[in-house]
Amino acid sequence: MPRSLITFKIILLAMMLVVTAIACLGQSTTGTVSMSATVSKFVEINSGGAVTLTGNSGGGVTTDGVANSPLAVSINLGELGPSNPNNFVTASVPLKLRSNAPYVLSMSATVTSSGSTSSRIGPADVGFGLGTISRAGTGVNSPATDTNATSGDPTLPANGSVNATTGRYEFTGVRSNLSSFASATTALNGPIIMNAVPRSNANGLTVPAFFAVKPQFFENGTTTISVTFTVTAP
Amino acid sequence: MRKRHFTYLFLTLLIFFALAQPALAQALDISSGGQPTITGAVSGSVTGSASVTNDLLVTINFGEVSPLNTNSIVKVVVPIGLRSNQPYQVAVTMSGLTNVNAEAVQASDVGFGIQNMRVLGGAGKICTQSTHVIHSPFNNDPSSSATVGSNGRVSYPSTLASLSGSTVILNGPQLSKNNSANRQQSDGYVFDAIFTLTPQFFATGVSSATLIFSISPGPNVPC
Repeated sequence: MPRSLITFKIILLAMMLVVTAIACLGQSTTGTVSMSATVSKFVEINSGGAVTLTGNSGGGVTTDGVANSPLAVSINLGELGPSNPNNFVTASVPLKLRSNAPYVLSMSATVTSSGSTSSRIGPADVGFGLGTISRAGTGVNSPATDTNATSGDPTLPANGSVNATTGRYEFTGVRSNLSSFASATTALNGPIIMNAVPRSNANGLTVPAFFAVKPQFFENGTTTISVTFTVTAP
Repeated sequence: MRKRHFTYLFLTLLIFFALAQPALAQALDISSGGQPTITGAVSGSVTGSASVTNDLLVTINFGEVSPLNTNSIVKVVVPIGLRSNQPYQVAVTMSGLTNVNAEAVQASDVGFGIQNMRVLGGAGKICTQSTHVIHSPFNNDPSSSATVGSNGRVSYPSTLASLSGSTVILNGPQLSKNNSANRQQSDGYVFDAIFTLTPQFFATGVSSATLIFSISPGPNVPC
């Protein structure tokens, strides 16, 4: 038999044996499961509960807030002329915020009046402020320091007075009326609100948003106030 | 002359491996047990072979697990195939998931259970004197046993935090009837490894972990 043929047969046999040996070792005693998950920033604002309207003459809460539902409240402040003898007409709108990241609550407002003179109700005539901030309940990151950029309850004596020159009542505190919110402006900010709990946990940060109007000799007519709250995680 | 000796030695070794094959084949083997599945995920996925003759190599992406995912739970089922001609045990080791922030995803947030041990076709060995034992606390479906703890966080009877070093999760008697040279479609057992993660207000970030499943000779239980 030619030597080259013998060599060829040996190589062929070796290849077959190698293939068989590989097949033998082809099984495995280990396997791998790799896993990953992503947590993105999340913030939300909802109603913190029912609206409280005080000092009103006529009017009422047209669409009330429902806790943990999207915030969509409609309020008729009623009569704001001198026929309303109350000191202020005040609406308190509870807000509920939740986040897994530091948050910023901003607000923008428009005030549209049918009047045509400077005595019509304008943005500066609508007091605004955020009240006491509460972080309470299981799963809420507490204690934590939130920064209220408003002056709080606009009806507090420290936040307004009658202008000695014009005689018109003015909300004078820092960011205490809607003229400060012609565009989106920060009202509140703070650190993470929620610990690692599921969304079904209904707790969160609650804060009342106060809106107030001092009944005065405004130009007669109707006024519409529209306010939009936005929470972000910058 | 030396060349010829080397050739003989080489061929002898190959013949040894080839002859040893029946003895080594299926002594202990772990593989894919079928197509893994995922439910409840947002932007998530799971990849792995549907063939029980392929290696176990699965990649799970739970996707978004912040409250942006409004599903109640993300569940992944990974079928794992086992073959052996002797008593066996399956162990798991984990690496990763070392978030310092306690509010980020932790090993204890990933539910991990074993269910549904079943014969893989007609050549799976059915032993009557011993059973396949899922070790405590892993004998559960974490998707149906999740609870909310006193701190408001979701917990499970067993999680990835239940793994410490190489942790035995399963053992039992011989799994396969035959001594086939290769993995067959029907010569062992399959069990489901179930992983769950409940979307929560976790601290932001990306978390990852790797699990190594291994099969080795187990306690000498009769078949």
